[in-house]
Amino acid sequence: MWRLTRLRHKNGKQIASCSEEMRVKRRENEKGLFILHTLFRDMLLLHKLQHSGPERETHLKALSKALRDSSAQLTFVKYASENSMHLLVSFLTGSNTQCRLHAIRCLHELSHSPHPSVAPTCLPATSYLLTYLSGQSTKFTELCLYTLGNLIPDSDVVKEKLLAQGIIPALASCIENQRHHLAVVEAASFTLSQLLQAKDAAETIMSKVLVSTLPSQLLSVLTPDPQFGLAPAIECAWCLHYMACSQNGKELLACGALSKCSSLLWSLGCAVREGNQDEGLELLVCPLLRCVGNLLSFCPANSLTDQVGDVKLVVALSAFVQAYIHSRPALARESAWVLNNLTAHSTDFCSALLTHNLVPALIQSLAFSEGINTMILRVLANIANKKKEFCVELVQQGLLSSLCATLKMADAEMVTLSLEVLFMLVSSSPQVTEEFVRLNGVSLLEAIQYNSEGEMRRRAAYLLEHHLLFSELQQIEIVSMC
Amino acid sequence: MIMRAGQNQPAAAREEQQKSEIPFNFTSQIVHLHKDHSLFEVGDVNRHLYLQDLYVCETDAPNPAVSVSQFACHISGCSAVFIALEEYEHHYNSLHRHVCCSCRRSLPSARLLDIHIQEWHDSLFTILAQRQDMYQCLVEGCGEKFRTSQHRKDHLVKIHKYPPDFRFDKPKKDKRAKETTRLQQKDTEMEVTEEVCDSEGVCEVLCDVLCHHPESGESMEMHVSEKEANGMTNHASGTEQSSEPPRPEYFNRVPRTVCFGHGSVRGFRGRRGRRK
Repeated sequence: MWRLTRLRHKNGKQIASCSEEMRVKRRENEKGLFILHTLFRDMLLLHKLQHSGPERETHLKALSKALRDSSAQLTFVKYASENSMHLLVSFLTGSNTQCRLHAIRCLHELSHSPHPSVAPTCLPATSYLLTYLSGQSTKFTELCLYTLGNLIPDSDVVKEKLLAQGIIPALASCIENQRHHLAVVEAASFTLSQLLQAKDAAETIMSKVLVSTLPSQLLSVLTPDPQFGLAPAIECAWCLHYMACSQNGKELLACGALSKCSSLLWSLGCAVREGNQDEGLELLVCPLLRCVGNLLSFCPANSLTDQVGDVKLVVALSAFVQAYIHSRPALARESAWVLNNLTAHSTDFCSALLTHNLVPALIQSLAFSEGINTMILRVLANIANKKKEFCVELVQQGLLSSLCATLKMADAEMVTLSLEVLFMLVSSSPQVTEEFVRLNGVSLLEAIQYNSEGEMRRRAAYLLEHHLLFSELQQIEIVSMC
Repeated sequence: MIMRAGQNQPAAAREEQQKSEIPFNFTSQIVHLHKDHSLFEVGDVNRHLYLQDLYVCETDAPNPAVSVSQFACHISGCSAVFIALEEYEHHYNSLHRHVCCSCRRSLPSARLLDIHIQEWHDSLFTILAQRQDMYQCLVEGCGEKFRTSQHRKDHLVKIHKYPPDFRFDKPKKDKRAKETTRLQQKDTEMEVTEEVCDSEGVCEVLCDVLCHHPESGESMEMHVSEKEANGMTNHASGTEQSSEPPRPEYFNRVPRTVCFGHGSVRGFRGRRGRRK
């Protein structure tokens, strides 16, 4: 899985565009490195740092900048052993708050290190970091959170220690107390997402999180703030997504997750449909889609409409399919997946697709590959599977002639699924059968009988034998009667 | 239709039997996806990029990321693939329509197919042709009939100004001569009946093209016409040329009872069990 080691701050470092800036940075780095080298070479200097008064701040600040460099990080870890970390921790917990800030910056930079040996060296600091989560200095808390979040994927030892030290309740109370500070909420949700997406985020972590107040906290801050932007909602949504992926995800239904996520998706769908050009909407749409998609699998069919709210959600989902089919086909596919889950066992949602006239656009999407068309065809199959009347409506909206194209596609799954849908359609009424015959469908099926796939051949043969020949016979009888 | 009708009938056993024979098994299914599922891969990459501050929102860039589903010729052994439906239809209509069930030759029209079947695969025709003029002129509306195929060819050339090597007018060769040449050729799994004619011609050309699957429909067409031209030229001269294309690898046994092209393929429909 991905190593999510770094997160920029809102006011994070800008890429230096002018050369003067670069020179300044370089000088500072060199100074920091010099300090590092002197530190490690001469323990006396270390001692000096401990007792040196106002210069400490300058030194620490320089150190934090120096530690942006990955080789400096490694140096700090390799040669300083425990002393340097203890030194940092002493600044972190000391009475000088500026030193605290610089110290946490040092730790934050260290947490970016790609070297796996770095994270465990930060262990002495973790209990303090967790303690500070319930502090009142929001900037400081943010830095603590990002440091923790960055350290989590790097080391199982760190993760286990944090769990033992109570990271879950700490995060829960942090979000609760700071829910009006959206930057902190964003940072806390990010840290939680790191915990939840870890490879062995076994069900133990998941179940601890699910029984805490975290799910309802996250849901309460899910709606994006128009001023602050999408970022906190994005982090919350990813947390909810990881929870919904778990087999224990059904716990989320009890706190109204499906309803909240669906209604937010609906709002986003409206925005997308109106051509909203806000950057990054898809960053929130993606985890929300996944939430809803997976939560639907836990929701009993008879309470679907209650949980989801409005059947009009299908309108939003169709809007996502259309909006993203060219620019982000994977996202269009995920939208179609949610549509499948919504329509699989619900006549109401199938009916909504028809009444809101969404089927023609879906039918057009059958031309696209990358798994989009098979998922869309599943949705249409779900509709056809419900009622004969739905079959007739689907035919009226042009599905039959589309099937004449999909039956010729290279994708075997697509062809087999098309045959299944065709079976449902022709079984619904003789008019459909005749229409298919009129569209030269018989020759299509006869061609399929020469395909190497047995599954296709059997289905095509069945349709010919039991439905289309029957129709021909009817015609012959009619003719002979005249 | 029969299914629905069956439900009203009192014979439940019959209905049960019908149900067990039905090959369709679609069921609507809710799909729950694990967080590492491949469907989530692209979104996860974008999440990663976002966290690394490398994410780019390309709202306006026309991204040809999504590809259109390809069409493929269904005929087993024909691996032709197409981007556009029109290409596929052109391929299919040109090569796989009026095809003789017995010898797999592709003819350009229903009429020519009828004539072919009659002259090549109908034993009654052979018998009658010994006593009367059975070979009809290929030009629709002409109505003339001839005692031999050679006579017909002469008529076509002289009266209707047809080329002497018209590719859709090949005389059927003697079967015995065929078998010796056939044995000399490399054996394949091609399904043939007793009545197949193994001369150079559309049959081998067709199968050869099918198994060599060129990339696009167009080149396939050209290939066919080139091969056909060779085949027909050889054939028109009445000799058995040895410029055999490699034998096809038709690996599927096509059931005898199945012919494709409703209304377009003749081949002893009685074998299908249809009541007339």
